[in-house]
Amino acid sequence: MPILSICQFEWSRLFLTRRGWLSIAAFVLIWILILVTIIAPAARVVTSELSGLAAIALEALGLQNLSRWASVEMALYWVISLYLLPLFSITIAADQTASDKTRGTLRFLALRTTRSQIFFGRFLGQFTIQILLVAVTIASVLILVGYYSTDKLSGALESTPVVFVNLLLVIMPYVALMALLSVLARSARQATLYAIVAWTIISIAIGVIQSRYGPLPILDWVLPGSQIGNLLRLDGWDTLSLAPVPLLHTAILLFAGWLAMRRIDL
Amino acid sequence: MSLITTRGLGKHYGKVRALDSLDLTLEAGDPIALVGPNGAGKTTLLSLLCGFIKPSTGSATVLGHAIGSKHLVGKVSALPQDANFDPRISIARQMRLLARLQGMSASQAAHETDRVLDTVQLGDIGLRKPDELSHGMRKRMSLAQALIGSPELIMLDEPTAGIDPPNVKIIRDLIRRESANATFIISSHNLDELEKLCGSVVYLAAGKLVEYGPIDPSADSGYLTIRPGEIDNDGFLQACQSIPGVSSVQLQAQGDFLIRYDKQHTVDQQVLQLLTANGWSYRYLINGRSLEDRLYGE
Repeated sequence: MPILSICQFEWSRLFLTRRGWLSIAAFVLIWILILVTIIAPAARVVTSELSGLAAIALEALGLQNLSRWASVEMALYWVISLYLLPLFSITIAADQTASDKTRGTLRFLALRTTRSQIFFGRFLGQFTIQILLVAVTIASVLILVGYYSTDKLSGALESTPVVFVNLLLVIMPYVALMALLSVLARSARQATLYAIVAWTIISIAIGVIQSRYGPLPILDWVLPGSQIGNLLRLDGWDTLSLAPVPLLHTAILLFAGWLAMRRIDL
Repeated sequence: MSLITTRGLGKHYGKVRALDSLDLTLEAGDPIALVGPNGAGKTTLLSLLCGFIKPSTGSATVLGHAIGSKHLVGKVSALPQDANFDPRISIARQMRLLARLQGMSASQAAHETDRVLDTVQLGDIGLRKPDELSHGMRKRMSLAQALIGSPELIMLDEPTAGIDPPNVKIIRDLIRRESANATFIISSHNLDELEKLCGSVVYLAAGKLVEYGPIDPSADSGYLTIRPGEIDNDGFLQACQSIPGVSSVQLQAQGDFLIRYDKQHTVDQQVLQLLTANGWSYRYLINGRSLEDRLYGE
């Protein structure tokens, strides 16, 4: 199937190119830094004083659920990744079609398959790459748990599927967002700038609308990732009650990207 | 079934009409030249036929199917102007992807990649990356992708622009060889080259069709074109004008003499006799005008 061939080729663009390996190396280095300088030390502090100041602090932040996690490392990973992985996603998925369109490479593909298959094949390729990256980060945390607190490993493993599925749901709309912006941009950098500008403008617009017309709860759900705050207050598979939000964001963004892809000049 | 049919096909960019209501029917066969000055609409027409851009007006069919139809996959290919491969990935890997997209299995795609690279005399560069090749080699590589799967129609937009004579010759020989299996449409400013390769010409200007017909200079009766060797130009000019039936003789910028004559007379034999009698040599004598003179002459 063409869509699978394009998806597969997307892996080649990451894993068989120098730029791809640089991205992976940057990701790994940043992740090691987070593990070693934030998660590991913080886990030790929280574990030793969980019943005291830390528990109060978590409660004040609305994160009291974290104190119920079997493994503090996994709990910290959960919080950090919810905010950090979308940033990685935006960076890594920024060049789904932009540079190929500018270079004319997409014309070679468009002669042989539909624009829809190119668009969704690239999205699928990027998303599967991100699945792998999430899996690698979770594995690194599990290794950390096994190293520092072996007795918590089974508890951490138990929470792994919930964390994994939720993180994939969180990053999915970001990959879809970059699929859309990549169609409109001429380069990965421009696509990333579009993301920042769009984010800022929409946030300001929501703020202005709400200040003028009062709170409109629906606007709180407009931006991808708007469910993250609520996710932190839920436990286990209850978190999937929020799954429709990222799935809807993804569907809308992919639809917009697909429409744009069908209309652009190659 | 015609190769290409367009009805009122147009592409507008704001008030600019890059292609203006084109009605054209092209048949399969010898290579077709697509000529015209810059901005004539040549690339726009090819881009429309390839489905790279959407028409503003009208419609077109290629091999009986609407543009962009999945039925055209594997049947139509192109060498788009200024389209480049991903510079970071090996040539063979990119070629194999294109072959896979045309429905080939992995082993067929690998075999086809080897075949088309051999065809353009680049059989040994599969593992290299496009950035490591010269401009001429990259052009041949792009031409190789157009040959994947033996398509019925191959559209080439400026296939020899900016490349050196050896690469031009390789590409020209290849087109001549492959035109037995596929119909080529070649857009180029190199009219000499098109004259050697093509059987018919589509001439566009300012987005409109000016002329479509055979390229054969002999069909353009009433003219002789002669490229002399070392001769007395003025003497030859005057001598030619005195031949019965000759109405005018002009020395063209490229060094050819264009002789216009009354079709009821036979002039070519007398011109040859004139050359022999004066001991003048000549490099070629064409019954008719060159494509350049036909399209851009007075």
